[in-house]
Amino acid sequence: MFSQSRRNLLVVFLTLLVIFEMVAYVTTTPRPREQFFQLYVLGANRLLSDYYPNDDPNIGVADLVRWYVGATDLMGSVQLIAIRVKLGNQTIRPPDDLQAQPSPAPLVTEFWRFIQDNETWEIPFFWQIVNADTLGGSTRILEMQINNETYQVPGLSALDGHNFRVILELWTWEPQPETLQFGWSSGNERRVAWVQVWFNMTSSARQ
Amino acid sequence: MLRIRWFLVICIVLAILLPLIAQTVTSASQPTEELQPQFSRAFVLVRRAETAGATHEEVTGLVILLNKALQLDEEATRLPGSDAQRAALLAQVNETLGRAETEATRLEVTASQRTFNNKIVAYVTGGVAALLATIAYAYGGHIWRRYRIKRTFQMRIFPKVK
Repeated sequence: MFSQSRRNLLVVFLTLLVIFEMVAYVTTTPRPREQFFQLYVLGANRLLSDYYPNDDPNIGVADLVRWYVGATDLMGSVQLIAIRVKLGNQTIRPPDDLQAQPSPAPLVTEFWRFIQDNETWEIPFFWQIVNADTLGGSTRILEMQINNETYQVPGLSALDGHNFRVILELWTWEPQPETLQFGWSSGNERRVAWVQVWFNMTSSARQ
Repeated sequence: MLRIRWFLVICIVLAILLPLIAQTVTSASQPTEELQPQFSRAFVLVRRAETAGATHEEVTGLVILLNKALQLDEEATRLPGSDAQRAALLAQVNETLGRAETEATRLEVTASQRTFNNKIVAYVTGGVAALLATIAYAYGGHIWRRYRIKRTFQMRIFPKVK
């Protein structure tokens, strides 16, 4: 039989073993954390200002607007994301945060990128309106140039050219099933990230 | 009368579904549809390597390959009407994705082995540390008892001074 002192030693050993193994478990198991993305638009000087040339939101044809668009992956894993650029007017629905629904505004273009955990991907977003017309007080943007690529805009108009907006939405690729989805899944929730910048198109449109 | 009602119901259903279908179609525009399964497969393999414990630097190499494939795919999509050039670019995309897949598979095996080894080392270290701490405790107790005994035997008895 064990003597009293050996029994004491066994109790001490088992207690220490449990403590040290718990420390080993905690250090080798990754801690769960909140999973999310950040999406932002910065102005010409990479600040939250100077969004319009000469600080004038009335943008004319061929006025170059310089923005920087960025996204940060804080999901804890590699993600395939798409930033979708849409052009809206005052009446078109913006994305719905609660229902995680994208805006029905026409898609102008999209930027794709594989992005690592904790990585920020920032791209210059230099755009201008290259073709627009005015008909009966309604201004219609027909063509936009983004980063030197010209895109047709499917006939979006605004009364007197007021309150157009560029809507940027963050979409993620889900490998199972292979689909592109607006926003991302965080546990059982669906979350979205989008930004919009308003502008007027009040000068230099073709009559 | 019944036919007209059915026709109206179908029209309403189509009016609701068509925008949704249109949305789905535009969402699949990039990467090139024929390459989507490959992009998806490479992506899954990279994620598996990451989950297996690949380091940030190791995953960076894979992400660079994936982004290169994405860029080549975009260039191929934008090429105006040159089938030969487009095919060459798509072949490059295939090759790059193939490299990413091979590298990700290799990395997954290495990383999972490394993670397993690290766990074993951590748990064994915990056991060894508990054993060493117990030995230190026993030895410390032994020294303490010897000290107490020594002190006891060093005691002297003096007669009381009146």
